[in-house]
Amino acid sequence: MNTSIRRRAFAGVLALFAAAAALFAFASSNSTTLANGAGLKPAQTGAGETLLNGKRGGTLTVYDSEDFEHLDPGESYFALDYEVMYATQMPLFEYLPNNTTVAAPMLASGPAVVTNGGKTVTVHIKPDVHFSPPVNRAVTSADVAYAIDRGANPNVANPYFQPYFGDIVGAAKATGGPIAGIQTPNSTTIVFHLTQPTADLLIGALSLPISAPVPESYAAPLDKDKPTQYGTSSEVFTGPYMLQSTASGKFLGLGYQPGKSATLVRNPNWNPKTDPAPAYLNKININIGGAAQVIGLQVLKGSDSVQNDTPTNANVELAYTKYYKQLYAVPGAGDHYVSLDNAKGPFTNVNIRRAAYAALDRAALVKIAGGSIVGEVGTHFITPGSAGFAQSGGNAGPKYPWNEYPDGNLSVAEKYMKAAGYPSGKYTGNQVLTIVQADNGNSPEEGAVVKDAFTELGFKTKLVLVDQSVLYAKYCGVPAAQVSACPSVGWIRDFADPQTILYVPFYGPAITPTNNSNWGQVNEPAINAAMVKATFVVGAAARAAAWAKIDDMLVDQAVAIPWIFDDQPNIESGNVRGINDLWDVGEWDYTYTSLDNP
Amino acid sequence: MSAQASLLGPEVSLGIAGEDSGDIVARSPTALFWRRFRQDRVAVASLIFIVVLIIIAVAAPLVVKILGLPGPYVQNLNLTNAFGEPLGPSGAHPFGVDGLGEDIASRVIYGARVSLEVGVIGTGIATVIGVLVGLLAGFYRGWVDTILSRFTDLVLCFPTLLFGIGLASACALKGCLGGSIQPGVPVIIAVVVIFGWTYIARIVRGLVLSLREKEFVEAARSLGASDARIMFREILPNLLAPVIVYASLLIPVNILFEAALSYLGVGVQPPTASWGQMIADATPIFNIAWWWMVFPGAALLLTVLAFNLLGDGLQDALNPKAD
Repeated sequence: MNTSIRRRAFAGVLALFAAAAALFAFASSNSTTLANGAGLKPAQTGAGETLLNGKRGGTLTVYDSEDFEHLDPGESYFALDYEVMYATQMPLFEYLPNNTTVAAPMLASGPAVVTNGGKTVTVHIKPDVHFSPPVNRAVTSADVAYAIDRGANPNVANPYFQPYFGDIVGAAKATGGPIAGIQTPNSTTIVFHLTQPTADLLIGALSLPISAPVPESYAAPLDKDKPTQYGTSSEVFTGPYMLQSTASGKFLGLGYQPGKSATLVRNPNWNPKTDPAPAYLNKININIGGAAQVIGLQVLKGSDSVQNDTPTNANVELAYTKYYKQLYAVPGAGDHYVSLDNAKGPFTNVNIRRAAYAALDRAALVKIAGGSIVGEVGTHFITPGSAGFAQSGGNAGPKYPWNEYPDGNLSVAEKYMKAAGYPSGKYTGNQVLTIVQADNGNSPEEGAVVKDAFTELGFKTKLVLVDQSVLYAKYCGVPAAQVSACPSVGWIRDFADPQTILYVPFYGPAITPTNNSNWGQVNEPAINAAMVKATFVVGAAARAAAWAKIDDMLVDQAVAIPWIFDDQPNIESGNVRGINDLWDVGEWDYTYTSLDNP
Repeated sequence: MSAQASLLGPEVSLGIAGEDSGDIVARSPTALFWRRFRQDRVAVASLIFIVVLIIIAVAAPLVVKILGLPGPYVQNLNLTNAFGEPLGPSGAHPFGVDGLGEDIASRVIYGARVSLEVGVIGTGIATVIGVLVGLLAGFYRGWVDTILSRFTDLVLCFPTLLFGIGLASACALKGCLGGSIQPGVPVIIAVVVIFGWTYIARIVRGLVLSLREKEFVEAARSLGASDARIMFREILPNLLAPVIVYASLLIPVNILFEAALSYLGVGVQPPTASWGQMIADATPIFNIAWWWMVFPGAALLLTVLAFNLLGDGLQDALNPKAD
């Protein structure tokens, strides 16, 4: 190459670089950098919003970088799926958007009736709810029975069937056929017979999508496929909206294009007299894909749209400082904690777990997650707004030395390392801790903080970043992977009962070889026994007390390190009157959301 | 001694040394090379940049200490604002900090280590393998050539980046081959080596096919030289110039490859500082924390540019006929 040409090219590149740097510097001078520290005005929480003063009409655009997992009411178990489920289906009970404690009758015509010492539950359903085309007929109690029966079908494999419906007579061995303990004496009555007095838990679970009616004549042929094609390619609906479908009920390729979009339109057979939801919107277009940062800017600066993903910290900051009324931070949105491998390695020693708990700078993790707007330092596992939260210490949490220092305290940590048999206060063994964390969002930084805490205790550590899609499927949810710690596993309650927060992630016998949600393989006999006992406690207050005690035991044993009580940030365009489902991590409720100028 | 003059060997060539004196002075090929190279100021500047970069990388702890910077892994969340966003350049942190409050300048300096390790070590091993394969294939021809060349073609068919992502992911937790390939830099070097040798092997094979017919090879053979001697003492020295040029151009490619893998999250694992990973981490908030992306990006750009310009300069100096 000619030298002078090359030199000019070199100079050109430098000039370009200088120009780019100047541009970025200029941009930064306009950016907002808030001072460090507390005292920020809280964001709106979405609580207390008027639900019924919206305007009818218009199309809402929903931006969502993530795709759905399941659109079948029998399979869905993901917050994004739930948004569509509760807009398109009518479970027996449902929480209104601004109510986090009591589920209202939805398909049910009134509250569930408990008899036989808590072993029988009877529910009556509304007679004039109809399925969408092509089924069209009125819903009967047999449709609800089939919806729950199919939860045990291996082709449907409902993920919460056994924990919540397993006590129904015959459910333990059910494989999709009729369950003996579910009876339908007439077309508007369904009766559940239980093997144990666990009616409270069952009634709570009847607010989940699995209780939405499914017509056997339509779904049974589809349920023969593995996985079922009901909810995968075709489905019928009972809610105000439905996935745009063909005349035969097929929505795949029309109302839902995987990885691209979903379209909700009005259900022509929906009867507003049977449903308290106003259903203001005419249509909801859900765009799937894109980067959360870009999506957030589109929403904040655009119109008629909301973001479904958690906004980036930068967009939360932008919304807070410039679009305050378009930002909600909904409390009670679950918690996140560091799972510790209780089954193998150094964390089998309770004092090492306590030391790790004490050493971790939980306040730093909250800051990385976005600061006080998006959460408070976690001090136990039952989340704010849930029964049992106050009884197990409220925001301060149970009083244990390792739980007293949100910023971490190395001297306390070293005290427990010494108690674990390391006189220097530092780990001197040769086991390497493997920390596995997702590689997206704030996760790498969260992993680095956890790694730093373990390193301070003398551990050799290996931080492995993996794609979010395999984090649980291959690592944190697979005991054989022998992951020492997963820094950011989280749990959201299924409904307003503290058992739904603690049972699955910490009950030893619930450990499974794959898809394991007891990530730390916690299997403490005393805790297991307490959970079994608490399951049979009747009455909301008594249940709250019983599960709060278990919460305390979990912190005492330092089975994991809770670090944040999440407040879910959500952003909307200026002309959107978005309504958040406070019971469901603040996800948008399409049946109440409206536009200012449709 | 080689039967034909090596380009960089000790043999004497004729060159015009002093224009004023008019004397004809013998100059070695190395001297001729250096004379041509130093006239190319861009190449010399690139060489100086690379040398300085290597010194900085090797002496990173000392450099960071001299500059009064905190270490690359010192987290300080007080250097982030109330929303967890990092603060920009200041006197104490001239390049700003990242999301953990880690000093960007310090991490850029340490990041040079990873880039150079992958670039130099990976390219070095790949070059050795490529030269060996090319030598054997070109020299023996026949079935040896067929097997080695088809194998080379086979490796060339692999989508390198996809394979790199797959291998890096597969080896992420416990390493590969019984732990002999550990996650992080070793995996990346392994990928670079596995795929990097093929290009050099092809070039060397072509050159050897030509060189093996030259008179000096015939002469060596007639004197009873063994195949190994002919290959490594007669032919190999004549390959050094193109191999050096090609290797110098392969280094920036491999540096970019490491940056790409780290950007995709399957390369160097945190908290180890890597330019590609820093750029990836900064991407979601590029419009707020520009410094997090610009400084590692600039380091990457300048390093790759310097190696490319050096490669061009070496090409011009070692092979003037091609200019």
